[in-house]
Amino acid sequence: MSWAGAEDTFLSTSLASYLDKKLLVLLRDGRKLLGLLRSFDQFANVVLEGACERVIVGDLYCDIPLGLYVIRGENVVLIGELELGKEELPPHMTLVPEAEIKRAQKAERDATDLKGSMRKRMEFLDFD
Amino acid sequence: MASEEESAVKEPLDLIRLSLDERIYVKLRSDRELRGKLHAYDQHLNMILGDVEEVVTSIEIDDETYEEIVRTTKRNVPFLFVRGDGVILVSPPLRTA
Amino acid sequence: MLFFSYFKELVGREVTVELKNDLAIRGTLHSVDQYLNIKLENTRVVDQEKYPHMLSVRNCFIRGSVVRYVQLPPEGVDVELLHDATRREARGG
Repeated sequence: MSWAGAEDTFLSTSLASYLDKKLLVLLRDGRKLLGLLRSFDQFANVVLEGACERVIVGDLYCDIPLGLYVIRGENVVLIGELELGKEELPPHMTLVPEAEIKRAQKAERDATDLKGSMRKRMEFLDFD
Repeated sequence: MASEEESAVKEPLDLIRLSLDERIYVKLRSDRELRGKLHAYDQHLNMILGDVEEVVTSIEIDDETYEEIVRTTKRNVPFLFVRGDGVILVSPPLRTA
Repeated sequence: MLFFSYFKELVGREVTVELKNDLAIRGTLHSVDQYLNIKLENTRVVDQEKYPHMLSVRNCFIRGSVVRYVQLPPEGVDVELLHDATRREARGG
């Protein structure tokens, strides 16, 4: 199967027009990866160069460097072109170091877990 | 002949064919239900529905009492393409005859 | 092929694509392929507050398998045409 063959380039859904551009790749588990698209195929398997994960917790964010990534297509939700010269994030968001975003991430996860476990305890007490 | 062939029900999707241009009920994954007029479908149960009402049932947990709150959210959409892989069941309109 | 053909006719129109992860994106339909992968242009996320990372995304590719719904423009739906195409497709198997 050809990709970006002559018949496909007109009104094509292929990722060819995104090659060598800085992209945002949303994954099914909610992760957000940034990087340069270097290759792809018909399954939307993609190769990202200089990839990093953008972790956002509330108004804090951090880009954690990952390197060269080959992403399996079935985990891809969306691939977005980041418009050059436009702010990637709203102005009220603050860049923080990796250690801080990891702490914030953990705090957020713990809060969710607590809510779940409290619910289970209440269920146990619920006699009606 | 043709009409006989059109109305024959040999396989499950034949029942859906008979529901074309009728209002149907569709149950979807993630606690969603649709009611709307069936305008198109294919073998994957991809569909186009018209005059659609969607009902989403969600369970929220109260921050203080940790009680479950069941919430239903309704909305209307004029025309909706529905991807078949989310469909759990389709119920044709009930005929009273 | 029915919906692939249908979406091809819809190119250039405004649609709202709702994904299985609840993200809803409105944009102009740029193209579609046999898997119903979709490319949108001039996109905006319906709930921008909740998805700050989408702020500067104006064009995107959406994998067909993650689509839940596509809200269609009423002027892009020819009911009679859809009925005929569906009956033809059902016969063809």
